Amino acid sequence: MAPPAQSHRSPSPSQPSGKGEVSDLKTQLRLLAGSRAPGTDDTKRELFKKVISYMTIGIDVSSVFSEMVMCSATSDIVLKKMCYLYVGNYAKHNPDLALLTINFLQRDCKDEDPMIRGLALRSLCLLGVANLVEYLVGPLGNGLKDGNSYVRMVAAVGVLKLYHLSASTCLDADFPPLLKQLMLKDKDSQVVANCLTSLQEIWSLEASTSEEAARERETLLSKPIVYYFLNRMKEFSEWAQCIILELVSKYAPMDTEEIFDIMNLLEDRLHHANGAVVLAIIKVFLHMTLSMTDVHQQVYERIKAPLLTLVSSGSPEQSYAVLSHLHLLVMRAPYIFSSDYKHFYCQYNEPFYVKKLKLEMLTAVANESNTYEIVTELCEYVANVDISMARESIRAVGKIALQQYDVNAIVDRLLQFLEMEKEHVTAETLVLVKDLLRKYPQWSHDCIAVVGNISSKNVQEPKAKAALIWMLGEYAQDMQDSPYILEGLVENWDEEDSTEVRLHLLTAVMKCFLRRAPETQKALGDALAAGVADFHQDVRDRALLYYRLLKYDVSVAKRIVNPPKQAVSVFADTQSSEMKDRIFDEFNSLSVVYQKAQFLQPSYMFTDKEHRGPFAFSEELGNLSIGTEPSDAAVAAQRVEANDNDLLLGTSEKEEGHGYRSNGSAYSAPSYNASTTAGASQGHFDLVSIDQPSTVHPPASFAIDDLLGLGMPAAPSSAPPTLLLNAKASIDANAFQQKWRQQSISLSQETSIDPRGVAGMMNPQALPQHMQGHSINCIASGGQAPKFKFFFFAQKEDGSSAYLVECIINSSSCRVQLKIKADDQATSQAFSELFQSALAKFGSA
Amino acid sequence: MLQCIFLLSDSGEVLLEKQLTGHRVDRAICDWFWNQILTQGDSLKLVPVISSPTHYLFQVVREGITFLACTQIEMPPLMAIEFLCRVADVLSNYLDGLNEDLIKDNFVIVYELLDEMIDNGFPLTTEPNILREMIAPPNIVSKVLSVVTGNTSNVSNTLPGATASCVPWRKTDLKHATNEVYVDLVEEMDATINRDGNLVKCEIYGEVQVNSNLSGLPDLTLSFANPSVFNDVRFHPCVRLRPWELNQILSFVPPDGQFKLMSYRVKKLKSTPIYVKPQFTSDSGTCRISVLVGIRNDPGKSIDNITVEFRLPPCVTSSDLSPNYGSVNVLADKTCSWTIGRMPKDKAPSMSGTLVLETGMERLHVFPTFQVAFRIMGVALSGLKIDKLDLKNPLSRPHKGFRALTRGGEFQVRS
Repeated sequence: MAPPAQSHRSPSPSQPSGKGEVSDLKTQLRLLAGSRAPGTDDTKRELFKKVISYMTIGIDVSSVFSEMVMCSATSDIVLKKMCYLYVGNYAKHNPDLALLTINFLQRDCKDEDPMIRGLALRSLCLLGVANLVEYLVGPLGNGLKDGNSYVRMVAAVGVLKLYHLSASTCLDADFPPLLKQLMLKDKDSQVVANCLTSLQEIWSLEASTSEEAARERETLLSKPIVYYFLNRMKEFSEWAQCIILELVSKYAPMDTEEIFDIMNLLEDRLHHANGAVVLAIIKVFLHMTLSMTDVHQQVYERIKAPLLTLVSSGSPEQSYAVLSHLHLLVMRAPYIFSSDYKHFYCQYNEPFYVKKLKLEMLTAVANESNTYEIVTELCEYVANVDISMARESIRAVGKIALQQYDVNAIVDRLLQFLEMEKEHVTAETLVLVKDLLRKYPQWSHDCIAVVGNISSKNVQEPKAKAALIWMLGEYAQDMQDSPYILEGLVENWDEEDSTEVRLHLLTAVMKCFLRRAPETQKALGDALAAGVADFHQDVRDRALLYYRLLKYDVSVAKRIVNPPKQAVSVFADTQSSEMKDRIFDEFNSLSVVYQKAQFLQPSYMFTDKEHRGPFAFSEELGNLSIGTEPSDAAVAAQRVEANDNDLLLGTSEKEEGHGYRSNGSAYSAPSYNASTTAGASQGHFDLVSIDQPSTVHPPASFAIDDLLGLGMPAAPSSAPPTLLLNAKASIDANAFQQKWRQQSISLSQETSIDPRGVAGMMNPQALPQHMQGHSINCIASGGQAPKFKFFFFAQKEDGSSAYLVECIINSSSCRVQLKIKADDQATSQAFSELFQSALAKFGSA
Repeated sequence: MLQCIFLLSDSGEVLLEKQLTGHRVDRAICDWFWNQILTQGDSLKLVPVISSPTHYLFQVVREGITFLACTQIEMPPLMAIEFLCRVADVLSNYLDGLNEDLIKDNFVIVYELLDEMIDNGFPLTTEPNILREMIAPPNIVSKVLSVVTGNTSNVSNTLPGATASCVPWRKTDLKHATNEVYVDLVEEMDATINRDGNLVKCEIYGEVQVNSNLSGLPDLTLSFANPSVFNDVRFHPCVRLRPWELNQILSFVPPDGQFKLMSYRVKKLKSTPIYVKPQFTSDSGTCRISVLVGIRNDPGKSIDNITVEFRLPPCVTSSDLSPNYGSVNVLADKTCSWTIGRMPKDKAPSMSGTLVLETGMERLHVFPTFQVAFRIMGVALSGLKIDKLDLKNPLSRPHKGFRALTRGGEFQVRS
């Protein structure tokens, strides 16, 4: 690749260094300024050209400003144009000199050639010097009344330029009403269109301060004006049509008849050669029919062909922009495009971003009838030279498999991938096989046979390794040498950099042990020892948890680590329908195309946070639901219900910000780093029944010794709370408030809440209702995501003590802050436990 | 709307800068953009719409020239991209090609064109026919004229008549000494053939190109013998849409000169005119390759300009390829191109050879995709036929001509 662009900043020797040449030009121009000799224009032209070319390569030639202006007296139009260009470029930074140009520009505005009048007026408006605006008003006013449409066209846009320069001058000169008149009367369609764009912008900007402007902006969307434009539609240039269609898309028709009228009027324009027009029309159609379900479907059918044609014709840039929009539609209504799947087949020479879009569409449109062909096509990409493409294709195959069509054939295909002996293919496939097994346990035999043959040495990527280890643990029974492979992996514990893999290894060894104890005992001992000594907090915690579980009771450990699994029926959808609707507001806007700008931070521009929401979060959703780890037994069993809430969770997540962002995709292997907080809270209710955690880490050797004495008698579990609450306790808000003020805090605690509970927070009444079931009444609630605040009240059964609770729930971190005030401070601890256990049940019921 | 347009050379140098609104865009944005290109490796790998920390950028690359436009506000993306494509088309039409030198030599014309094509960020006139009347192209004729007459201005002194006429793409009083109109059907066949030799997808994208040199304000109607073959159509703005909806007849007042009257798509074709059969057999570190090319469905006319191009997988260290017809070229980036030219009558072209794989690699497991190009004169493979072309109100009987042509488009054979 050639050197970067800086070259023009530090001029190389071959380029003019500036100073000398510029002063040279200056003297030459000065000589010519007054000359009227024949041939002067040619010399001038050469000099002007030089000046402009210096300007173009970035050399500052502002020093010849006055000479340029002096030379501007000419009838040659090219010279004039160059002069205008020069003046437009430097006037802003040399306001004093700009004054010099006013004179000749104003003179040109009265030239008899309309083209010169127009050009001069345009340049005059482009000077951009605020204190010269007074000189603009006259020429602009004349321009708007000019007999030639070219000048009027320039003047109409000029008004907008003036407005940006000095709004008050523009409004004082009464230009907007003039523009409106022109817009409704002018014969020339381009003048009309320019008036419209100027008025739209001026009135929208004024609307916040002036009621009149707001009213005027509304009238632009009124029936007579919209119809006026629609009826003249054919006269307008393609670009002007785009602007008018944008206006029409905001218009709200009175009834369905009107909608059909407008659609009929515009329908033939779907054949327009300009893609911008076609998309603008599609936007109008989609917006108008949003509330009419059946017509909306027909619209999809109708716009399908034009969109597909746009994709296959035109330059790569155009087809990408159209494809992004098509992607949006396909994602919203995949079934309508399911017969057109061949259009989404990738060409090998397409850029990756196009292929990625196409893969997503192929995945979306797969159904019973076309799955076989689509998967066959995808399999061809897996052998592709492009590694990222191969990976994406495998993921796509996996996604289709999870959609439940023709799984049989797909599993075979996936297993074939494993036999291709390419590292990236194997890695990606392993992750998928793991997900598949969670959904279709019935395939375990076929898969295990193949997976068992994979040498763990050939798998290096953490995600793939984690997946393989998970399978080794989960299917320890079916895989002959699973304990020995695990043992080998444990031996290399220190070389394993990925926390994720180490965590999985711990769990897998544990599972294996619970099934094949004699063979795994050594591996487990080593793994626990290494785990307890691990520098990573999560690994250490899990090792300790397992250690204590085993110490406490092996059968409990078994129940927790190796419970009977239910197959996952639904993986969380990555986008709720509500989000898709929201994306629709942006049809034919930049954000649709911009969606794929992976390497960029979101910028401050489309400041409206809502706009970016749906895109930014689709990834995270996957992580939240799938990222919560399958081996966390207690959760896995309830996963099915949990998934029902996931959509809700998604919506609440969206408002909260980027807390859970992780780089994994929706189908990545379980990812711990993304869900450490969630993991902590899941551990919470398993741990309560186990004896008090000691803060001293037992030495590693002790852990091993202890393993030999498994099955130690169970330690007595903590006594159940004896506190009973009055189910009918009540207090009015004022009394509560008073009491709250009087009493001091007897207990202040921090705890966590089940993420599924957080999902329930979407309904503000859910938590109070739930708590009421536990005889705890909500007095007041408030706040919004991510922070909710509740006040609760409860009373002891015998009425001897009242409990007041302030509960602040942070739904993004799943943390809960409790402040408890009690009449009888001695029982506040017991109440707190009661309260927390009630809270823990929230969302799991 | 668009705030600024830059033209960049293939080394990232700013060739031209055109500020469109009062909000000036600093050139630094080009440095930022070029950095992105450098870090992404290839401008073609960059998405056409990207966002910089300060602006949204649209880029369209033509012949090594990057057309870069900036905006800070929301706008329809295709409006910007289509517009940049038009700018590129108009420039290459005006300058007779597109490269760094042409732009540097003619920057004044480029500025003039941009001035008329866009104002305050809103596209205005992009019709080449109209632009030509406002700004004369720098062709030889005008150069000769300027020498002869001493008038070097390349701008007509009058405004084009069309801006005031009711047919915006045509000026009212055109006079041609020769009265003629030519209609060309140009089709491109896009096909994908998979590993097993099955046709995965086959489509035709076609254009009806018209070259009209007619005097006055001619009104033309063009009809097809079999308009039912179209799956979808797109028209030049001059086409009246109502007659098409009713009778599938193209009725239009043509712009002067060459233009694209319509484009269309024909889906689900059943066969391709030629076949390409690659075969690979690996054996202990080397791989035998053989590629056969032949006629599958004789289109009735000769097939020429045949080339087969493919890229050797990166694991191939050296190759030895020889054809029995035509010539093979292997470039440094491992692109092999086999130029066959016209399909021979007496034999089927074939190419065979051996590929040596990297040490340690037993057999080839990534296979290249073959890009096939060809041309068939005189046939539109979609089967589309022009029925007749009628002229209303002609000043004299014009000469009419029809041609057809099919090319290989994205014709890919996987192996």
